[in-house]
Amino acid sequence: MKYESQRIAWLFFATSMALFSLQIVYGFIMGFAHMGFDVLHDVIPFHVARTTHLNLLVVWLLCGFMGAAYYIVPEEVEREILWPRIAKLQWASLVAVGLVAIIGFHFQWFEGRKFLEIPRELDWLVVVNVVTFIVNIGGTMLKGRRLTTTSCVLFFGLLMSALLYLPGMIDTDHQTHDSYWRWWVVHLWVEGVWELIMGGIMAFLLIKLTGIDREVIEKWLYVIVGVTFLSGILGTGHHYYYIGAPRYWLMIGGAFSALEPLAFLGMAIYAITMARKGGRKHPNRDALGWTIGCSIMSFVGAGFLGFAHTLPSVNMYTHGTLVTAMHGHMAFWGAYAMLVLGVISYALPQLTGRKVHDGALASFAFWCSNIGMVAMTVAFAIAGIAQVYLERRMGMDFLAVQEEIEVHFIGLVLAATVFALGVGAYVVNFVRAGKPVGEVAQGADRSTADAAEARRVLGTEAQA
Amino acid sequence: MLSKKGARAFFVIGTGLCFGAFVLLTFDTFNRIPAQTNQAAMDESVIRGKHLWDTSNCMGCHTLLGEGAYYAPELTKVYERRGPAFIEAMLRDPESMYPGKRRMQNYGFDDRQIGDLVAFLQWIGTMDLNGFPAEPDLGAVAVPAAASGSSPLAATGNRPQVFNQMCIACHSLDGQGGVVGPALDGVGGRFDRPYIERWLHDPTEVKADSKMPKLPLSENQITELGAFLSQLRPAAAGTSTETAR
Ligand code: HEC
Ligand code: HEC
Ligand code: HEM
Ligand SMILES: [Fe+2]
Repeated sequence: MKYESQRIAWLFFATSMALFSLQIVYGFIMGFAHMGFDVLHDVIPFHVARTTHLNLLVVWLLCGFMGAAYYIVPEEVEREILWPRIAKLQWASLVAVGLVAIIGFHFQWFEGRKFLEIPRELDWLVVVNVVTFIVNIGGTMLKGRRLTTTSCVLFFGLLMSALLYLPGMIDTDHQTHDSYWRWWVVHLWVEGVWELIMGGIMAFLLIKLTGIDREVIEKWLYVIVGVTFLSGILGTGHHYYYIGAPRYWLMIGGAFSALEPLAFLGMAIYAITMARKGGRKHPNRDALGWTIGCSIMSFVGAGFLGFAHTLPSVNMYTHGTLVTAMHGHMAFWGAYAMLVLGVISYALPQLTGRKVHDGALASFAFWCSNIGMVAMTVAFAIAGIAQVYLERRMGMDFLAVQEEIEVHFIGLVLAATVFALGVGAYVVNFVRAGKPVGEVAQGADRSTADAAEARRVLGTEAQA
Repeated sequence: MLSKKGARAFFVIGTGLCFGAFVLLTFDTFNRIPAQTNQAAMDESVIRGKHLWDTSNCMGCHTLLGEGAYYAPELTKVYERRGPAFIEAMLRDPESMYPGKRRMQNYGFDDRQIGDLVAFLQWIGTMDLNGFPAEPDLGAVAVPAAASGSSPLAATGNRPQVFNQMCIACHSLDGQGGVVGPALDGVGGRFDRPYIERWLHDPTEVKADSKMPKLPLSENQITELGAFLSQLRPAAAGTSTETAR
């Protein structure tokens, strides 16, 4: 760590950890409901649990991305965060809005559009919050000593995510319009601009962890995000097949989305090659594990399992079944959850000054969570494929099929238990590392007014 | 070898072209949506129903147009499948419908709200969805008993419509239908016609602790159902009850 204000990242990372843990709790509520034990129905009915589960996911990932930006950008552009006080306020207000939203869900205050359930009033607060964040990061970059491709790609990803939130707020009376704009947010996020964020963070981690030449890494970064947009933008069409949009989307969406796995494949090959070439100099093997793991699991979850149901002829039968849940879990885990856990693994030892990354608990967390997630995906796949055949292809009644596949949810809950143990170990490690009181690196310039301001805001003056 | 500058140019140009195409297609799509989705039929009631659908977060359990959650039935074609009376009953008192099964939220809707939601679901059912949801194409394998017709649906054509909409939600006949109540194969052998008609007027009057709810049926429908059910005789092994009568 080279700059005092990088410590702001810890607040975001800690929030991520808390919300992620809570997300898993809601996952279990739904797993049990699918098994036939919907015991909490009167307090937390299924739709409340599902909405909370999904929105916690989005918020903790965004928190992770923001933390990553506050950590990475100072180091890349070589200066303190422009306004540390505002950064801290932005964190506090994000937590406040998040809590109000989550509590609101339990009183059935929501908009009811999958992934965008936050009510309109809170949407505006989110916009203000994110604009503050973007301006702070952008300002830091403008005033920085250098502008790197890595930080620009990361910034562009964050900026576009903010802008793409707006189509989701367009008011409409028409179900098809509603759906059309909703995918501008959801699809163009996960299969577009979030991949920029992923590319930027991954490039930073690879540069730090493998010591490989920046020029080489950044060149391939352009190629990969180029392929992402080439396939991903028109690939949005794979959500427009059956919602009342014209038939030509079957062809356009099918063809372009079928190319999307290439970007993920590219990312995996790139990460593995760089790690090999770089000779693995860095002692933080745990962070490298998450980084490489992320590139591989995102290819499996997003690329391979996405492709499995993206062709219109397949999607006709899998659309709206548990097959989608199978893909969604592995894709989000592989691409974005592992990415955030990777940044945290890299940054935490530096932020806190405790070497938590090479203990047995860290590898337990890595393997347990990944094995658990693969097993969960298999359970979803079996349930989903059974549902497709029984309900969609043979015409059995919906509820009869659900009773038929209840047994696979026992498997799911068992797998989820393994997964939760792994994540639990990760969180324990995080807590054990303690507060962000780590030393700023030798030779870094800590005497500036900016550094003093950051220390004052973050209450780390004692160490100065 | 590709230079960093070349790589950047590839990124910028590729992204620009694709985004431009996407924006143009978006305009075209919005021009075509009205015809494709029967927008002319979207009246005030449908629009109120749509907003009610959103604020109630029905998508948190159900799918509509294949989008949403996978806990409760897909509702795109529910109007055609169950008919308005059944949907109204479901929204008025979800607890008594589908007894002992997964539970739906009881929203306590008033009559107007129920009417709006039904209008919304009816409108959704009239959209052209490029073939979604597909007809089950392996059905004939699953229901060998219905071998009399080429598809299982062909064999159900001679049933009263209300039977195929409402009763099939909870009961099966010829291996097809719901699992909430007992199968109705051969029910005419178990009960006579007056008993069945009394049952359909109000099951709880016949059997106080009956789990079958009192359904919104007209006198005509009850007569029709009574005639249909009372002639469903227990079949000889291997033949369909309907073909055996
Ligand atoms: C908590 C989950 C949940 C919510 C929220 C929910 N439903 Fe349901 N709904 C169900 C379940 C489960 C069923 C299947 C029947 C059963 O088990 O009760 C169902 C059945 C139905 C049916 C009958 C479907 C059929 O094929 O027979 C209709 C119509 C319906 N719901 C409409 C709605 C509407 C409209 C809303 C929103 C106002 C809504 N539901 C909200 C869970 C839910
Ligand atoms: C909401 C679910 C549901 C619907 C819809 C429904 N039933 Fe039932 N039905 C049941 C249940 C549950 C029972 C068993 C009642 C009991 O014994 O307590 C039953 C029992 C019966 C019986 C007695 C069967 C026997 O063998 O004991 C008949 C006859 C019957 N239903 C006819 C109908 C007809 C005709 C319709 C369509 C108008 C219909 N039901 C719609 C749930 C339903
Ligand atoms: C990291 C990247 C990705 C993530 C996080 C992700 C996540 C998701 C999620 C959560 C859904 C369910 C959305 C909903 O029901 O509202 C979904 C749907 C879908 N995804 Fe992905 N996905 C990713 C990449 C991909 C790729 C690369 C492809 C194609 C090759 C793909 C193909 C699909 C398809 C076809 C659906 C629609 C399923 C349906 O409703 O019929 N996804 N994705
Ligand atoms: Fe997508």
